[in-house]
Amino acid sequence: MTDWTLAGLARAIAGGTVSPVEAVQACLDRIARHDARIRSFITVDAEGALRAARRLEAELSVGRPRGPLHGVPLAHKDLCHVTGLPTSCGTKTPAYFSAEVECTAVARLAAAGAVTLGKLNMTELALGPFGDNAHHGDVQNPWKPGHCAGGSSSGSAAAVAAGFALGALGSDTGGSIRLPAACCGVVGLKPTYGRVSRAGAMPLSWSLDHLGPLARTVEDAALLFETIAGHDPADATSSRRGVPYCVRSLDTPVAGLRVGVPENYYGDDVDPEVAAGAVAGARALERAGAVVIPLAVPDPRPLVDGCNVIARAESATIHGRLLRERPEDLQPAVRARLEVGLHLAAHDYLQALRLRARCAREFVRGVFARVDALLVPTIPEPAPALAWAKAGTVEEVVRKMGRFSRLTRPWNGLGLPALSVPCGVTADGRPLAVQIVGRPFDEPTVFRLGRAVERAAGGPVRRPQLA
Amino acid sequence: MNEPDRQPSRDAATLAAAIRRAAADLALAEEPSGFVVALEEGPELRADRD
Repeated sequence: MTDWTLAGLARAIAGGTVSPVEAVQACLDRIARHDARIRSFITVDAEGALRAARRLEAELSVGRPRGPLHGVPLAHKDLCHVTGLPTSCGTKTPAYFSAEVECTAVARLAAAGAVTLGKLNMTELALGPFGDNAHHGDVQNPWKPGHCAGGSSSGSAAAVAAGFALGALGSDTGGSIRLPAACCGVVGLKPTYGRVSRAGAMPLSWSLDHLGPLARTVEDAALLFETIAGHDPADATSSRRGVPYCVRSLDTPVAGLRVGVPENYYGDDVDPEVAAGAVAGARALERAGAVVIPLAVPDPRPLVDGCNVIARAESATIHGRLLRERPEDLQPAVRARLEVGLHLAAHDYLQALRLRARCAREFVRGVFARVDALLVPTIPEPAPALAWAKAGTVEEVVRKMGRFSRLTRPWNGLGLPALSVPCGVTADGRPLAVQIVGRPFDEPTVFRLGRAVERAAGGPVRRPQLA
Repeated sequence: MNEPDRQPSRDAATLAAAIRRAAADLALAEEPSGFVVALEEGPELRADRD
């Protein structure tokens, strides 16, 4: 049963061939069998999940389904406040973060009938792209033990890939949904900035944070996105735009859509197998009738410098108390990145925000006058070994972090929707992925193109063999 | 990972220098909040759910 897609299981539950309790129990059994090795969960709420499943089963038996996710088992990054469960944010402190009300995205999923299995492992404070965590264990890549699951939503991607949960919430400040999705061979969406409420989730950088779904297929990710997107008065940055149908338009042909493939930056120093995967993705779209256009895009490096200033200043402000009072609790690289923000001037922070505004306006007006979407690799190399990611001085580790996330960070700076979709595997079995990047608030087109890439790659991706 | 050889003020100075170069020619009218305006200025998509 854990080999089902989310949409397939939701249909089976709605049709009465699978019960919510059976679905939840199957996930809990699989977690019990395998997660001691994968380390994707920080908290498994077996009792709460089964209680919720029994209630949903009773509601279904009297013909009262809550919504499209009725009885579907999910799990969420341990920075989402879920009523009754602690939120460590990957730190040493079990209840580091709390909020007055439950995370809006989690509450919307529950209102649609989803069951929360528990809280998922992550990089400490969501600061790092590899998924290592000294407090809760390094999340292992289900495809390749000893290799990174990607971060910071490491547990979210690993749990979905391993079949522990049918979908998960993650957060993305510089690639933290898409990097682990790419490393673990699942689909991950960073929506448009403002599209999904961040209320009730630990902030890292107010200007760059996004919440979004990870799932096994593009359809599953679209279904989760439709459920969590839309205005929320509890989040001051939440857009008032209506949410378009995404699942319904998934199979609208992509013929005629113009897809840009950047000639600069996004192919520089990229692993040959990753580059070949991106070429295969572009060819798949061409075969589906899209028009692939090589083009030069604005150099993202000044924007990324600006985002680094913004992220450092905001994260040091948010987590300054922990940094001042218990710095020894933090992993060295996390502490080093946070401390930089204490040394930045207000003038530089404001200049970075102004620069970002200009970059976004010029990019949207310039690039999207020529194409409808862009296709670029998600990760510059396949999931690296955990030992390599953690080796070296703090300075060297921070440099590796910056290198690994260099293809995802520009899209946080620009606030554009970016979907990571699997597009094959390396010769030694590590997943490859591309990002589809769209116009602001045009998630439907991003999902349509992602579905075409997924189909061409033979998706959905099969499950990894767990020992 | 080896013992930290942290250098936060030097890293901050490097970042600040980069942003000062990149932002040197910003127009006086450019505001920090212009980012959200840039995202929201496009047309609404049709077939909205709500």
